[in-house]
Amino acid sequence: MNLYEYEAKEIFADYGITIPPGVRITKPEQLAAIHFGYPLTLKCQVLTGGRGKAGGIKFGKDLKDAQALAKDLLQLSIKGIKTDSLLVEPKVAIAKELYLAVTLDRSRGCPIFIASAEGGVEIESSGKVVTMPIPYPFHPYVARELAKQLGLSKKVLNKVADIATKLYQCYDEMDLDLAEINPLVITEGDDVLALDGKIIVNDDSIDRHPEFQGWEKDHLAGLSDREARAKMLGLNLVELDGNIGILCNGAGLTMATMDMVKYFGGEPANFLDVGGGSDKDKTLFALDIVNENPDVKVILLNILGGITACDEVAGALIEFIKQNPHRQMVVRLRGNNQDKAAQMLAESGLKLIPDLETAVKEAVAKSKSNASTKEVAKV
Amino acid sequence: MILVNKETKVIVQGATGKMGAAHTKRMIDYGTKVVAGVTPGKGGETIHGVPVYDTVAEAVRATGADCSVSFVPPYLALDGGCEAIEAGVGLVCVITEGIPPNDTAKLVAEAKRKGTQLVGPNCPGIISPGASLIGILPGNIFKPGKIGMISRSGTLTYEIALALSENGQGQSTCVGIGGDPVKGMGNLELLSMFNDDPGTELIVLIGEIGGTAEEEAAAYIKKNIRKPVVAYIAGQTAPPGKRMGHAGAVIEGGKGTAESKMKAFKEVGIEVAVTPIEVVELVNKASKQLVSK
Repeated sequence: MNLYEYEAKEIFADYGITIPPGVRITKPEQLAAIHFGYPLTLKCQVLTGGRGKAGGIKFGKDLKDAQALAKDLLQLSIKGIKTDSLLVEPKVAIAKELYLAVTLDRSRGCPIFIASAEGGVEIESSGKVVTMPIPYPFHPYVARELAKQLGLSKKVLNKVADIATKLYQCYDEMDLDLAEINPLVITEGDDVLALDGKIIVNDDSIDRHPEFQGWEKDHLAGLSDREARAKMLGLNLVELDGNIGILCNGAGLTMATMDMVKYFGGEPANFLDVGGGSDKDKTLFALDIVNENPDVKVILLNILGGITACDEVAGALIEFIKQNPHRQMVVRLRGNNQDKAAQMLAESGLKLIPDLETAVKEAVAKSKSNASTKEVAKV
Repeated sequence: MILVNKETKVIVQGATGKMGAAHTKRMIDYGTKVVAGVTPGKGGETIHGVPVYDTVAEAVRATGADCSVSFVPPYLALDGGCEAIEAGVGLVCVITEGIPPNDTAKLVAEAKRKGTQLVGPNCPGIISPGASLIGILPGNIFKPGKIGMISRSGTLTYEIALALSENGQGQSTCVGIGGDPVKGMGNLELLSMFNDDPGTELIVLIGEIGGTAEEEAAAYIKKNIRKPVVAYIAGQTAPPGKRMGHAGAVIEGGKGTAESKMKAFKEVGIEVAVTPIEVVELVNKASKQLVSK
């Protein structure tokens, strides 16, 4: 779950990381009540990166100027995502900009610090990135070593090390995928503060954080309506541009099925892993949500029931077919109680195809045929 | 075979839960030596004829178990894993999905410190067909043989194992390493074990998008592995930036694409199947070459 900058900064502040004073506004008129003095920084609050480049940060030189800018910024969409609000802060006199982040390093299997003495816009293009594995258990000397490697000294070294320590504590205790400060600025008075903040909360950890309960529905940027609804029900749906709706059990098998569809000349409309499949209601919801996509011409259901009982999947399918008799379907079911499932499905006019390759080819053929979708699929 | 055999004595952590109980029965039916269950507060009970203990230490003392398989819920899995490591079992296999990655990273660190073999989390387990089944794999799909399998995916492993078994290509051991970004044993350790295992002639490596584990495996195979390897990568059509079911299956910043992984394998002369079914053809081809040698 991606958080807004203002939310990330509030969390950083809770950990004792210095942030500039700021007020969040949703209307230009609210600027009149802000007394930071001018110039003011106005920043779009939007759940995507590339904000600076897209013109989502402006500086107002007086109230009138700031209100005009705020009016435009509040209507700005960045990468198709609407601006939620503006964060208003006094403009800071910057002596130096750093980059500092904590994230998980999958190859090393542990969290790492990523830092650069050249903060600002694009960390990827900076040649001076320092990465440092964070041992468990953590001790603050790791953060001092990091500050040293950034070429810092004296008071600033200790201040940056202190912030790095706090950033790791925040990352660890709040179960984050990413805690990032870019830029971390050193002011002309040698103060160190987080001018921007980015937090990604780990999705699997949200349930053990009471402070994040109910946040997910407001932080679903970048998902289609159907993807968002699936996510709220614990299903992983990824929509694509094709016309073959895909439902499988298991992430790897679902990807492999998509790949086969493409390999045999078809176009997958989505990725959807229905998981164990024994939950009839969940399977039915999964079928419904794929069925809702107007681009879908045929649904390919591929269940390899090692543990999943095929007859239970068949139960959900039969109910779906009753409600959607005209939907073209290709069903590949294999595993426990397969024969029973085949018999159940036969009565609904659906044939069960045990072989995966045959099923995929069948689905591709149907996706290309001009046959009316009103004809009940009989294969 | 590697990791588990007929003699492996297994403790099931979370044996009295719904999933734990169901799979305890399946493991026993398969012939796995399940010697104990562990559920705090249920010590003294039995599950499918197996004694249940309150702690792993107690279960290990009473039974001499050398492996633990964990069905402990996600937020308790770090605790349960550390308990098993501390109790001295040599192999800990964590089935549980949805463990916070920071917990997994700590568990991995603990396992390394103690020298414990950790498999998973978010994995289907380990099977040495005909000898021992640890976890949730459907035993009937697998047949004894000489192929070692390493996989990041559960059902995809079943799909490929099924196709192999039906074509007379049995397996020595199949290890589901799990779909999470941080995990215990990875490709390199297992490739090395299969390489040293006299019962394994050929290795099938099933990868998927995300991370660089397959690229690292390709380089490692070139340098260290004498046995033929057939690879398959799922997610050739996956869009960038989207998590595809598994927490670890995501293309980030242009890294972790199926294309990059397939290329890495091909560059070191490893055969890469385009579909799961093609794995069988490539395995058949490699087997024939082995015979003719």
